[in-house]
Amino acid sequence: MAADATPHAPPRSLEPAPLAGAPAPGAGGDGDKGNGTAASTALPGRARVSRNADVVQTWASLIALGVLVVVFAAISPQFRTLGNLQQIIDAAAVLAVLATGITFVLLLGAIDLSLPGVIGACAMTVSLLVANSRNDNDLGLLGVGLTIGLGAMFGLLSGVLSTRLRIPTFMTTLGMSAIGIGIATILFGGSRPVVLDENLNAWATSRIGGFTLMSLIAVAAVATGWAIQRWTRVGRYAAAIGGGEDIVALSGVSVARYKALAFGVAGAFYGLGAVMVTARLGSGVVEAGAGLDFAAITAAVIGGTLLSGGRGGVLQSMIGVVALTVLANGLILTGVSPYVQQAVQGVIVVLAVAVAVWPVRHRLGVVK
Amino acid sequence: MTGTHTDTATEPTPPREDGGPGPRAPGRSRRDLALLIMPTVVLVLLLLTLSTRNSDLLTADGLLALADSAAPLMVLAIGATLVILCGGIDLSIAALAALSSVLFAMWIPSLGPAAAVAVVAVGGLAGAVQGLVHVTAKVNSFIVTLGGLALWSGIALVISGARTVPVTDIGAIQWAFTDVAGIPSAVLIALAVVVVLGAVLRLTPAGRWVRAVGHAEQAARLSGIPVGAVKVAAFTASGACAGLAGVLLVARTFSGAPTLGATLLLPAVAAVVVGGTAITGGLGGIGRTVVGALIVIVLRVGLSLVGVDAGFESIIYGVLIIGAVALTIDRAKLDVLK
Repeated sequence: MAADATPHAPPRSLEPAPLAGAPAPGAGGDGDKGNGTAASTALPGRARVSRNADVVQTWASLIALGVLVVVFAAISPQFRTLGNLQQIIDAAAVLAVLATGITFVLLLGAIDLSLPGVIGACAMTVSLLVANSRNDNDLGLLGVGLTIGLGAMFGLLSGVLSTRLRIPTFMTTLGMSAIGIGIATILFGGSRPVVLDENLNAWATSRIGGFTLMSLIAVAAVATGWAIQRWTRVGRYAAAIGGGEDIVALSGVSVARYKALAFGVAGAFYGLGAVMVTARLGSGVVEAGAGLDFAAITAAVIGGTLLSGGRGGVLQSMIGVVALTVLANGLILTGVSPYVQQAVQGVIVVLAVAVAVWPVRHRLGVVK
Repeated sequence: MTGTHTDTATEPTPPREDGGPGPRAPGRSRRDLALLIMPTVVLVLLLLTLSTRNSDLLTADGLLALADSAAPLMVLAIGATLVILCGGIDLSIAALAALSSVLFAMWIPSLGPAAAVAVVAVGGLAGAVQGLVHVTAKVNSFIVTLGGLALWSGIALVISGARTVPVTDIGAIQWAFTDVAGIPSAVLIALAVVVVLGAVLRLTPAGRWVRAVGHAEQAARLSGIPVGAVKVAAFTASGACAGLAGVLLVARTFSGAPTLGATLLLPAVAAVVVGGTAITGGLGGIGRTVVGALIVIVLRVGLSLVGVDAGFESIIYGVLIIGAVALTIDRAKLDVLK
């Protein structure tokens, strides 16, 4: 029964090449080749095959991004300007931070649907903690720090509830999203708090070297996320847990603890993302996070982070973030309704996941 | 209304196809029984508590009004129950209902009342597409339907221009808000859905197939059940129910709203799990969801009666979902938790 329900848990590491061989849409074709090499050389050179698969994956995502850029540059003269490049990077800032966070959850093989709620609650919190039109608080950076802490608490709670009550994460985080939206609605209390803190508003307005302060903060946050993923136990174990949870547990790691911590790290990034959204909007908005969960998941998946866990990373997700932002930017410049983007994202996620599992679909036992 | 859940009373009797450990079987069935009775008890207690604050609630008119407002949610949640019984999840129902409401409002001028049939068909088709993708490409149902959620609400926003679409010809939806023998027609439609789907599940092999797939998919496949077809059928029914729910919503608000989806998913999921259907599949039934939907609506009415902040409603949905899932889930089926 154990083997039925988790068809690819123990031999997961045998399969990286075919999974990664056909990653982003538009990069098909090399899936079969990868399949053959993985089957023949899997055991002796497992680490190298896995590394190669990562490289193939990353290049495929980069090529997809390149194709997008070339196509839009050819169609739209406005697209190929320096100003538009800055605009794309500024527009990508929030999504970059959120995608960094959600990457930790996706590495686990879990999913996080709590972004709209967590961002709503954090956006209301930060707008009420810094100088604002509703109360006399003026905590400045301390308020930002507290908000990031609140996001981390939300994430930890999602993680602890999932691991202790043994509930699938999409259910826990769906519930947490509702709780966050509820808290945000209560904090909202009928009148929108306008942010009067000059320093926070400057995140979106003041520019250094052509880029907004927010973009630079996002770069720093992504670098921090990458460092956490690369050099801390939370990050290393997150990928290991996603690759084969039972093996990690057998080797003596407290899986539940590190899962919860990974959710906590993710939550902290959502908190920062909420602060950035608030700085951009200039006031606390309950629906600040609407749709961002899906955008973040899409970005991570395009970048090559597998929803089944264990593969991908912060930097790969960034490729997806840029690709998604370029897509949004290009669609607007070529005159397509912004609502089409949402529909396109929906198709992309399903397509990317389907393409990734297509070569091995017969080996998957039960898919719920 | 509570009497309708009797169709689930026979549930603990079928043999456990999942080959669960023998010694735990008696404890499980006691737990099953508790899960069967608890939601009804909660519903009755809620109603009694609320009737102390508002004595009109327990009159025939009060209960009918309650059932009337519960009808769209009930239809929506019943469809989702079928997918959950198979062991999957359909997160797209609310977005599909929103799209259906827009389509219905837009098609009334050309099709008249027949637009309702067309909308239900489109909903069913959308559900079937999701089911086919899930079955043939072996993509997790929550990912497929999450993608569907984005796709359907995106389409709804595009074709409506992100505005609510008013119904120009009220006559075409007259049928949906008239009373038949004193009972609102929306309630009758919801009851008809319950009866039809309940009969299909009880009187044809479909019910056993769905539960078998949910309990132990491999065993079901080996015993010759057309697992893929069962799943696609469940998704199709779920989509059609979402379409019908969209129609019922238009009849309540006289307009199609592309952004409805955001507010409907949580109550619908809450209705299913609070009713006692386990999200691990196999355990539960339509009758339970009827009770669950009534609980959600009574809670909503009750909260506004007591006068608490609207934010608490959302928090309660969240807590209810997490709590009810924790109570009903069958952990024997989850050896690695994702």
